[in-house]
Amino acid sequence: MDAKYIGKATPRVDGRKVVTGRAEYTHDVRLKDMLFGMILRSPHAAAEVVSVDLAQAKALPGVLAALSLAEGRVRYAGQQVAAVAAVDERTAEKALGLIKVDYKVLPSVVEWEKAREPGAPQVREAKPNVEKFSEAARGDVEKGLKEADAVIERTYRTAFEVHNPAETHASVAAWEGERLTVYDSTQNVHGVRDGLARALKVPAAGITVIKHYMGGGFGSKLGLGEHTVVAALLAREAGRPVRVALSRRENGMCVGYRPSSFQTYKAGIKKDGTLTALSLVNYASGGIDYGDEVLEPAVDLYRIPNVKVEEFSVFTNTGAGCACRAPGNTQGMFGLEGLMDELAAAIGMDPLEVRRKNYTTRSQGDTGLPYSTKGLDLCYAAGAKAIGWERRNRRPGEGSGPVRRGIGMSSSLWWGTGVPGTLADIVLYPDGSVEVVSGTQDIGTGTRTHMAVVAAETLGLEPKDIVVNVGSSDYPWAPASGGSVTTPSVAPAVREAALKAVARLKQVAAGKLKAKAEDVLMDGRRFFVKGAEDKPVAWADVCRSLRRETVFHGEAAAYPQDQYAFNTFGAHFAEVEVDLETGKVRVLRYVAAQDSGRIINRQTAESQVVGGITQGLSAALFEERVLDSATGRSVNPNLRDYKIATSLDIPEIEVIFVDVVDERLNILGAKGLGEPARIPSSAAVGNAVFNAIGVHVREIPMTPKRVLEALKRKEAGS
Amino acid sequence: MREFRIAQPRTVEELAALLAETKESVALMAGGTDLIDMLKSGVAAPDLVVDLQGVEGLAGIAPGKDGLRIGPLTRVAALAADPAVVRDFPILKEAALSLATPQLRNVGTVGGNLCQRPRCWYFRDPEVACRKKGGMRCFAMRGRNKYHAVLGGGGCFIVHPSDLAPALISLGAAVTVASARGEKSLPLEDFYRLPSVDVTRETSLGRDEFLKDVFVPAPKPGQKGAYVKLKERGTWDFAVASAAVSGVVKGGVASEIAIVAGGIAPVPWRMKAAEEILRGKPVTEALAARAAAAALKEASPLAENAYKLELAAAAVKRAVLALL
Repeated sequence: MDAKYIGKATPRVDGRKVVTGRAEYTHDVRLKDMLFGMILRSPHAAAEVVSVDLAQAKALPGVLAALSLAEGRVRYAGQQVAAVAAVDERTAEKALGLIKVDYKVLPSVVEWEKAREPGAPQVREAKPNVEKFSEAARGDVEKGLKEADAVIERTYRTAFEVHNPAETHASVAAWEGERLTVYDSTQNVHGVRDGLARALKVPAAGITVIKHYMGGGFGSKLGLGEHTVVAALLAREAGRPVRVALSRRENGMCVGYRPSSFQTYKAGIKKDGTLTALSLVNYASGGIDYGDEVLEPAVDLYRIPNVKVEEFSVFTNTGAGCACRAPGNTQGMFGLEGLMDELAAAIGMDPLEVRRKNYTTRSQGDTGLPYSTKGLDLCYAAGAKAIGWERRNRRPGEGSGPVRRGIGMSSSLWWGTGVPGTLADIVLYPDGSVEVVSGTQDIGTGTRTHMAVVAAETLGLEPKDIVVNVGSSDYPWAPASGGSVTTPSVAPAVREAALKAVARLKQVAAGKLKAKAEDVLMDGRRFFVKGAEDKPVAWADVCRSLRRETVFHGEAAAYPQDQYAFNTFGAHFAEVEVDLETGKVRVLRYVAAQDSGRIINRQTAESQVVGGITQGLSAALFEERVLDSATGRSVNPNLRDYKIATSLDIPEIEVIFVDVVDERLNILGAKGLGEPARIPSSAAVGNAVFNAIGVHVREIPMTPKRVLEALKRKEAGS
Repeated sequence: MREFRIAQPRTVEELAALLAETKESVALMAGGTDLIDMLKSGVAAPDLVVDLQGVEGLAGIAPGKDGLRIGPLTRVAALAADPAVVRDFPILKEAALSLATPQLRNVGTVGGNLCQRPRCWYFRDPEVACRKKGGMRCFAMRGRNKYHAVLGGGGCFIVHPSDLAPALISLGAAVTVASARGEKSLPLEDFYRLPSVDVTRETSLGRDEFLKDVFVPAPKPGQKGAYVKLKERGTWDFAVASAAVSGVVKGGVASEIAIVAGGIAPVPWRMKAAEEILRGKPVTEALAARAAAAALKEASPLAENAYKLELAAAAVKRAVLALL
């Protein structure tokens, strides 16, 4: 593609608005007569709600609505019990204090390790705390292990990671008769609309969900939130708009987190690096809901003939986990890629060579469909070159002195190939202006900008010429912004609509030029016939001739999923320094190579990758929800004790795109990027630490405590 | 947040009179960087907030022949940038720049830093009534305690969060405490109280008293100092363990030395055992390590915080060796 904008760096079309504070986030929405809603939450991890007395709260001047929300039993500390709406936040807070709840406290279990024990309090009614929820098998693992020259067994653990978006969950609900409008901080305006219709038993056709600007979601805002329903119910009762914006404390207690994992692998490898067998048993915990399946990397990434996976979810009296930027694969990649480096060490081979040795061009470890495109090998080569892979310790931990350096890497594997049926419209106006509309949402990733880029490229305009409208459920359908599907879903739809618009414009121009439409060329806001560039008709004249606004529909097409496997890939490389006395890890340099098909906007794509690395580095070193074992209450539901990387913790980052265009996937050959950039980043840092100190910490976050414990494990020779 | 009244005295006399007269529960507010957070969360619920920012004469640094007088309302950023501090007490500058973030240092004050409340996550939970808040139990003792005290705990296992206090104590700083009843000066070291003395407070400040100034004696010839702060993140993090060391080293021998650890005990922890081992002897890495070990011998870690002993030992060793 000879492109002017696609694949180049375009600054965000809304960047100025955001950095000057004029972008309206859900937290900023202030409607006329709007009330402030607040939610009372259970202090107990398990209890029977005997009664909820709202009388005193309702009697407080300024309180206009109060609701009881508890249905019999609460199963985690932080579960909603009642709610109020009042003229201001202080009155609402005071009213919460006046609600009388009579709890009958029940036995509870907070730690998943304890929930597994016989006799542990039962979290779900009539169901055990441990439930197998995922399995896979091929070949014969026992036989495979016998063929190996080295067999190792290792357990890798990942923590409960809280999303902590800059903007906490928030909804503002307003009724006009039976029509409901909800401003919501959401990744999914259509999904929230449909969810509200079900929850409130009102027609979806009468609900509009709006999200203009978003301060992050990372998977925690993919569906209808309980607080959103509360806002709508309070608004209905009060007859006035109601805003419910969760506090940072609530964010840490009741809107989800990345479920933990406890992955035990047993694997065999031959001296030449050939993998012979792998077994994985995972215990995942997602509180009162299922944990994440982590098996995908283990069954898909390498050519392993014999594989067996069993995954169990362990239920506890804690809030439900939810999708967190690449659910499952992030945890699984930390385990699998840690294992790969330990296997490589066991046979004294370059870990990157082991990965290349077991490379597959078909999914499911050579037992499935061929990948339509797979640029992982290119990522390996480009990343290794950029980081200086040859500088790593040949033997993990072979350096000397109190501060050790190491280099490690990890692969990335994800889907992110788009949702057929995604809609986008191009609207041409008689005055020559252009609008692109889709019911997607820009969750901070630059969706508006990539839509403007594709429309401008196709229509021969500049991105700033395009008016982009997104973030309303009244616009043409687009999927939730999750799963890294937004760009590969929306960009092809915009492209298709824009191509139709170009065809129509050429047709109109042809009439004016007295030529055939197929002979008309478009360039720089002009239409002309080849060879007669000096006799053009102007863009404005052609648009004027349309006489009214004209809408062109675009739709993302299906792709041959029955013939090919479509995935995104990447390889990340980290260089770290570890202080052996203090256990402190510092990441010194980082290289990310991504295969996400054709890159639409290099600038926002690089931002995505930097964000994914920042998040993964932060999870690798700092982030961990800590719960009080007795009460199930989070002791760090804030940004002081729940530690997120600061700018001083982020090293120089080099981002490489290998630009493998997948022509079969969509008309732009574009794939997703948001999650692929997060998946390998904790694992790469973990492996770099292994390379530095000669022992794998095997648990994130790799706090000073855990690094020092790992070093002791090394001393003890285990 | 509970409703409160606010008072804004203009002079120390007004302030002293106000504190003497009021029967209400009082919170003194200097920079307010932490107090406002505590008020909003409900952990602090005073009837009266006394805003010290308008009180004349409480801010500023005055170098004198015998030492440096630091007003408690001096901003931490101003302390770090003060020419006399930079010249005579670089350890104070190091400690000041190690704490919080530039934004917080621009607003936070020296006095506020010295009198700040602990960050124990149970204490900071508005719904938990721990011993420090007048309750019956310390929840950290058998609960989650990776950041808690390894020394000096007992009934309460907070760590004192100040970075300035260990540095100032190592320099032999004294504080003037004032009230309507008069003024008194005491070593900063004695200003702090272990939970075994009064679990609800971290300092000896009476309910009618306020901090009037901080005095740092002039440096002795050859005096050096170092502050080593071990934290998890690159910035905006309290010390998991820190060490302030000040002393005079001549020809590799420490003639005078003071060692104070931060982040490991409910008060800034003076390490006299370590000082004795080092005083008068050639400072070597082995001796510094031995001194650190001696100072931590009495430690009794909880279930999740034994690693802090290793960090504290490393901090002390590194700070001692930095004097060479």
